[in-house]
Amino acid sequence: MDESSTSSLGDRVRRAQRGDEAAMRDLIVSYQHRVAGFAYAITGRSDSIEDLVQLVFIKMARALTRLNAPDQFESWLFRLARNTCIDYLRRQKLRRIFTPFAPEHENVPEPSGAVDTEELDALRHALAQLRPKDRALIALVQEGRTHAEIAETFRTTVAAVKARLHRAREQLRQHYQTDEH
Amino acid sequence: MNTEHQAWTQLRERAASLISPGFPDRVMRAIRARSSPLLVANFAMCAATAALCLVAVAIYRARLSTDENDQNLAGWSEISAQADEFGQGL
Repeated sequence: MDESSTSSLGDRVRRAQRGDEAAMRDLIVSYQHRVAGFAYAITGRSDSIEDLVQLVFIKMARALTRLNAPDQFESWLFRLARNTCIDYLRRQKLRRIFTPFAPEHENVPEPSGAVDTEELDALRHALAQLRPKDRALIALVQEGRTHAEIAETFRTTVAAVKARLHRAREQLRQHYQTDEH
Repeated sequence: MNTEHQAWTQLRERAASLISPGFPDRVMRAIRARSSPLLVANFAMCAATAALCLVAVAIYRARLSTDENDQNLAGWSEISAQADEFGQGL
């Protein structure tokens, strides 16, 4: 077993903060798939996931020295990923204002060999009906973030998070059931 | 909610499959490239060029405005001289 896999997350983060490239790479390896799943849930675009995840990790590398509590790395990383995804969606929205997109451009088919199952298709459609911030909220819960951590991410109260989460889940359930039938 | 749970699992699996092999190494290269001294030097060069252009434009505009003032003053002097001449003639 190599040293990096045995060391705790906090140690790996501290080593990465000191400029240890192996520790930085190790963090990327550990979180690449989780961040990809999180970004996919928020954006719903498979064609730009790798670029988005790369951007998240580049931002992580730049800002890591400013993270004062290495033990809170995970919630910090997902906050970074959430902000990056929301920014990406905003830029896409702006681009659509200045570039005349036809409806067929919006629904570019997935590449061959990447056809979704019915369940996944229904979930993606249901997520697409929610506001990006609500998608991020649900994706954070799916990532195992606590209400307190989410409240910190959204800079709000735990009660507000619970209320918003309840509404978002209800909405998701409604659309998911409608899409299923 | 079982199917929804399955769908979330599939979503995560699908997203993971979108990350191509060698991704961590590519990210590391991008991180190194973005913080390389060459990039900083390029940025400094761009900033210096932009500052030089601004100074050049400012100098050009200042000279243009001085020339214009001189021309205007010369014009007014001529008018004033002609007015004096005209006054003396009366």
